[in-house]
Amino acid sequence: MTASIHNPAPRGQGLGDSDPVVLSTHGLTKDFKKLRAVDGLDLTVYRGDVFGFLGPNGAGKSTTIRLIFGLLYPTSGYVEVLGSQVPRDRQKALRHIGGFVDDPTFYGNMTARRNLRLIGSMNGEVSEERITEVLEMVDLAERGDSKVGGYSHGMRQRLGIALALLHRPELIILDEPTSGLDPQGMKDVRELIRALGRTGTTVFLSSHLLHEVELVCNRAAILRKGRMIAQGPVSQLRPASNAVKVLTDNQRVAQEVLRRLAPDGKVTQDQGYLVLEAAEDLVPEMVRRLVSQQIGVRAVIPAHEEGLEEMFLELTAREDAQGEGQPS
Amino acid sequence: MSQLRREIVKILSRKLTYFGWAGLLVVPVLVSLAVRFSTHRSGPPGMEETGGGFNFDIASASGLYIAIGSIIALSLFLLPMLAAVSGSLTLAGEAEKGTLRTMLMQPVRRGSVLAAKWLAANLYVAVGLLILLASSLIAGGAFFGLKPIFLVNLDTLSTAGVGEGIGLILLAYLFAFVAMAAAVSLALLFSTLTDSGLTAMAGAMVLIIIMLVLGNISALGFLRPYFFTSHVLASFNFFRDPIAWEPIRDALLNFAVWIAGTTGVAWLIFRRKDIRS
Repeated sequence: MTASIHNPAPRGQGLGDSDPVVLSTHGLTKDFKKLRAVDGLDLTVYRGDVFGFLGPNGAGKSTTIRLIFGLLYPTSGYVEVLGSQVPRDRQKALRHIGGFVDDPTFYGNMTARRNLRLIGSMNGEVSEERITEVLEMVDLAERGDSKVGGYSHGMRQRLGIALALLHRPELIILDEPTSGLDPQGMKDVRELIRALGRTGTTVFLSSHLLHEVELVCNRAAILRKGRMIAQGPVSQLRPASNAVKVLTDNQRVAQEVLRRLAPDGKVTQDQGYLVLEAAEDLVPEMVRRLVSQQIGVRAVIPAHEEGLEEMFLELTAREDAQGEGQPS
Repeated sequence: MSQLRREIVKILSRKLTYFGWAGLLVVPVLVSLAVRFSTHRSGPPGMEETGGGFNFDIASASGLYIAIGSIIALSLFLLPMLAAVSGSLTLAGEAEKGTLRTMLMQPVRRGSVLAAKWLAANLYVAVGLLILLASSLIAGGAFFGLKPIFLVNLDTLSTAGVGEGIGLILLAYLFAFVAMAAAVSLALLFSTLTDSGLTAMAGAMVLIIIMLVLGNISALGFLRPYFFTSHVLASFNFFRDPIAWEPIRDALLNFAVWIAGTTGVAWLIFRRKDIRS
């Protein structure tokens, strides 16, 4: 899969609240009879964000995406895409969005190229060159003239991404885009998403794969039973850890060096490593001092690094505990 | 590419489309063969209504009767079935495959999608009727020759020349097209109520059959004028001398009410429908 993206529109970096808001939801709520699938959701996605939308199966991720695309009508609240409200200005809003929800679906009795031409024409003229370009991006150029009915699940996923990219939308919404892909396919899709982010395209990535969000997203929201339990930069969502593990060719002397370097810090041992609990900015100085003492530094790695996974489990467990504590 | 053109492309890419049209192509040929090799010959010259059907025995008198007989015979079952299939596959068929979702994620108005699908389904029926007409005229002409036809007149023996006869046949086919538009609209309504093409088709067909059955129960005769199925055979009135316009007008009015009513309700449902498929 080719990860080069051509997108001429100037974009921001999606680094924070100063960037224009591309997508927001305001008290978005959706009930299916007695089931509240989405509950007062307030999301904010900035221009240039690669935004992770995390949650376990059944959390309401796909329902939220359907509400964004105007496939479902909200019970209350609304979606705003670049100033256009959904469902009120659905048609206008959809001109800025590309993507898919659940599995991408196509006309199985038509070729991939014809599908892109047919569906793509609903959003304006599409050139054959652009169709070829997006098929190349997702590594389907050679199968572009084959009927989609014969495609594997992974190929349909990739064709879904090609359709999403077709009109160079400002916002791309992908629902579990790596589902059904082999490891190489997953890697390619993630690289493609990263490349889109680099060009300033805003990507809204729904996933239940936490490490995927960590790998490609700069901001994320976590959904649980239709409610948002956390939202912000991935680096802030992940609890910080100040500990580093150090492996040298002389651990005894190294331990003394570390104790002198950070008298307030705690130096312990863990499976042959020295573990230093100290501020992260001490690491370069620590390495410099070890080297100056003629100690060979073999490895310096973060210790007790808590990823999104731990944080997600902790947050959801806390939510469950609160739920159980409340009278039913 | 307009929405209607996209719908036509989709219809033309389905094998089912060609099966339906092939059926309409073959029926007149089979009827012509059956009449040609039938040993029975009817007595009086002219057309007779035979309890809502058509006496094909007179077809040997002129090939034009094959075209008349085909439209009358098929108006009660095969044509409504094709119309129901065509109408039901519009939304429910696409919802079942998930492509309705893909389509509605594009910046298109739901109203224009519905209108294009309704038009395309009717175009499918219209092409089917043209195939039936062409096939029946060719088969009838080949087997029996295109000769003047007798018209129904209680007082005198009345005939229509070949040109006039074809004109009357065209009117009858146009009338059948409007009648089938009512069936398409009914199927479209069912198509907005379910995400299964088969269920929508079955729903429309069952309702059409119920109307046909109830329309034949004399105790429920007061309901008969309201069923569009009761007026489908009014095309026979084009072959009276003079043409009986009153039942034709009543029938067209009935079809118009069914078309407007069912399509209007379909629109009201579809414009706010949650697409969950």
